[in-house]
Amino acid sequence: MTPSNTLDVAALPPYSISSKAPLWWGQILLCVIEGSMFCMLIAIYFYLRLGVDVWPPPGARTPGVATSSIALVPLLASALGSYWASEAAKKDDRRGMILGLALNLALACLFLLFRYLTWSGLNFNWASNAYGTIVWSILFLHTFDLVADLLFTLVLLVIVAAGRSGPKPRLGVHVDSVVWYFLVGIWLPLYAVLVWGPRVVGVSQ
Amino acid sequence: MSIRTRWQIQVVAETERSELYRTWSDGGGLFGWLSVTTHQAIGMRYIVTAFIFLLLGGVEALAMRLQLARPENGLLGPDRYNQIFTMHGTTMMFLFAVPVMEGMGVYLVPLMLGTRNVAFPRLNAFGYWMYLFGGLLLYISAFTGTAPAAGWFSYTPLSGPQYSPGKGVDVWAQMITFTEISAMCVATELIVTIFKLRAPRMSLNRIPMFCWGMLVQSFMVIFAMPAVMLASTVLLLNDRTIGTHFVNPAEGGDPLLYQHIFWFFGHPEVYIIFIPALGMVSAIVEAHSRRGVFGYPAMVLSLVANGFIAFGLWVHHMFATGLPQVAEAYFTAASMMIGITSAVQIFCWIATLWTGRLRLTAAMHFVFGFLFIFVLGGLTGIMLASIPFDLQVHDTFFVVAHFHYVLIGGALFPLFGGFHHWFPKFTGRMISEKAGKAAFWILFAGFNLTFFPMHILGLKGMTRRIYTYPADLQWGADNLLATIGAFIIAIGGIVFIANVLWSRKHGARADNDPWNAGTLEWAAASPPEKFNFAHIPVVGGRYPLWTPSEQQGLVVGMRNDRREVLVTSAMDAEPHHRLVLPRSSIWPLLTAIGLAIGLVGSIFAFSWYYLAAALGMIGFIGWFWPHKPVEVRP
Repeated sequence: MTPSNTLDVAALPPYSISSKAPLWWGQILLCVIEGSMFCMLIAIYFYLRLGVDVWPPPGARTPGVATSSIALVPLLASALGSYWASEAAKKDDRRGMILGLALNLALACLFLLFRYLTWSGLNFNWASNAYGTIVWSILFLHTFDLVADLLFTLVLLVIVAAGRSGPKPRLGVHVDSVVWYFLVGIWLPLYAVLVWGPRVVGVSQ
Repeated sequence: MSIRTRWQIQVVAETERSELYRTWSDGGGLFGWLSVTTHQAIGMRYIVTAFIFLLLGGVEALAMRLQLARPENGLLGPDRYNQIFTMHGTTMMFLFAVPVMEGMGVYLVPLMLGTRNVAFPRLNAFGYWMYLFGGLLLYISAFTGTAPAAGWFSYTPLSGPQYSPGKGVDVWAQMITFTEISAMCVATELIVTIFKLRAPRMSLNRIPMFCWGMLVQSFMVIFAMPAVMLASTVLLLNDRTIGTHFVNPAEGGDPLLYQHIFWFFGHPEVYIIFIPALGMVSAIVEAHSRRGVFGYPAMVLSLVANGFIAFGLWVHHMFATGLPQVAEAYFTAASMMIGITSAVQIFCWIATLWTGRLRLTAAMHFVFGFLFIFVLGGLTGIMLASIPFDLQVHDTFFVVAHFHYVLIGGALFPLFGGFHHWFPKFTGRMISEKAGKAAFWILFAGFNLTFFPMHILGLKGMTRRIYTYPADLQWGADNLLATIGAFIIAIGGIVFIANVLWSRKHGARADNDPWNAGTLEWAAASPPEKFNFAHIPVVGGRYPLWTPSEQQGLVVGMRNDRREVLVTSAMDAEPHHRLVLPRSSIWPLLTAIGLAIGLVGSIFAFSWYYLAAALGMIGFIGWFWPHKPVEVRP
């Protein structure tokens, strides 16, 4: 075998904490799957709205504008924590990862508090009518995803804080940020639909 | 010596090879078997499991044909008949057709791309277990008396709590969740494998046609499968178990909403099944006409266009539901448009066959069978795209004939052809050509005898899903022919299975590349070693084994003491880093068991979803727990 027919890759690194990593691509696809589900939920919202004359149904208290809108501030800010952790992961800065993840978690928990306030302000549930069904479904699925990702973020934080901050956990921190950006980003259209939808496309009784 | 020398006889020192064996071995015993993460083993598990479900679905089909063989037959009552046609459709679509294509992809794609495993081996194992548990859930509950009976699509309101009491429909809905999670796992890992793990210099315009097929199919899975999970789990199951009102018109819901969401998945589903089959046809045609496929760019663009257009067709399943005519006209146009991209491919294959040096193997027989049957199914598809015609034959046996021509012709014949084509690679032995051709002719004759008369029955007005019919409608003769045909198909199936079992043990030994084909899977051993390639190849053309020797190269400098694969750039496949794949692990199985417990429980109470989430979480933590740093040192 002549050297010209061989390609020596011994000098290449054994990992990459970047968008070149297969795991990063996998996370993007996970977001696409989730995203198509949420898009379909939005379509269902408007499909159900077209089927009735009065939307939301008489007496239904829609998600409050004030709490829902203020809640966006900690949510968007939590993505900065995520970004901080992700950049620290690339630079192998363990302290930065811990602080970024902790900031992410703290602000996300603040957002969940607002989410609880919005949710508990509703005077209908999933079984009240079709409006209740779709509103509760969107809130439930988005919250479920948020909490699941926050738990994974917590596990990552524990792993990194425990000193296991090798390339794999670092890649974990990096791709975890991708999912978090997605969950923050997808909330914006969902927020617009749930909070502004009834005010824009609704007809009051 | 042929130009293939360099890859076929990879001169690898014995110590190097035994180290690779040690590194890629899954470990012995039952524990090792349950921890397997190699793609060939998991691909083969998908294929074998799917074929078992094919047999079950086939027996159900025979039972239906026996019942319909003569008028006013009393073999199966209406309830049992409803259960059997529901189980038949569900089994064939969710437990056979999609998983078998995924299995072929999982087995072949890494070999064709010149890599050693899929990008996420543990996800691959997890996907298989979810599929297996979903199939077991459906069949265990069917055999214990809770079979679903609302059709493979479970339309509301028939499948709603009012008309389908009992747990059959709930089992059906959760079975969908299992199989769709599995499909999405495979889709994710195949997309990433195809984009990131290709052999160096296999730029996008050099990807084998079968891999293009799997790529398009995987993207379709990503966009279509969330819809069916939403339809079955969120709309149907929640309406049944916790009283949501998605499809309840009394509270502002709409049964048609379910149909829209279901068919937004259901139409692409057909293409999810048959686009990989188109890739198989290309691979077979190339190898057996001994030239590259004619019009590669046109073929690839047509596949991709098929993938897009398939999402614009779903309403043609709902022409009889009274939708606005403007919308219907759009879907008619789209349904006819897909005829164009399909025809481009047919013409390209004909051109390839015409200009190649044809070898009439058993695999090629199945390709010709595909061309014949699929074109007929496509033509009735164009007919059905026309709304007045569709309204006339809606819900009749004409539609049954059409989709069996498309699905059996478009997917099963290529699959059987592919099975004959890749059998030497799977087993290291040649499959009997004579028995293969015999099986083809029996299946071909039986198929046409079964399904051609159904066109006529449909035109005569015989509706689908009826368990019997009166004698004076004159449907008896055509139905009897169809039943005879079904048993001929069964004989063909037996010949095929006997051939596989016999050839596995007694077939002639196959070398690495018995067909002198051009793609990389034929550079690996037959059957492939667990690491596929002792040295990852560097490719010099679209058909690496047909390129001149001086353009073929090998990758050196990979470590053999851990599971390394080469990550390359998405467009031009330039090497970027050496990824260390995880070891074999029992965690994918444990995670699947945990999720299965919760999902089965959710049929009875919503709160079991929280258990599913908790157990799944524990599983994922075990799965991703970082190992000792040996895995990532340079």
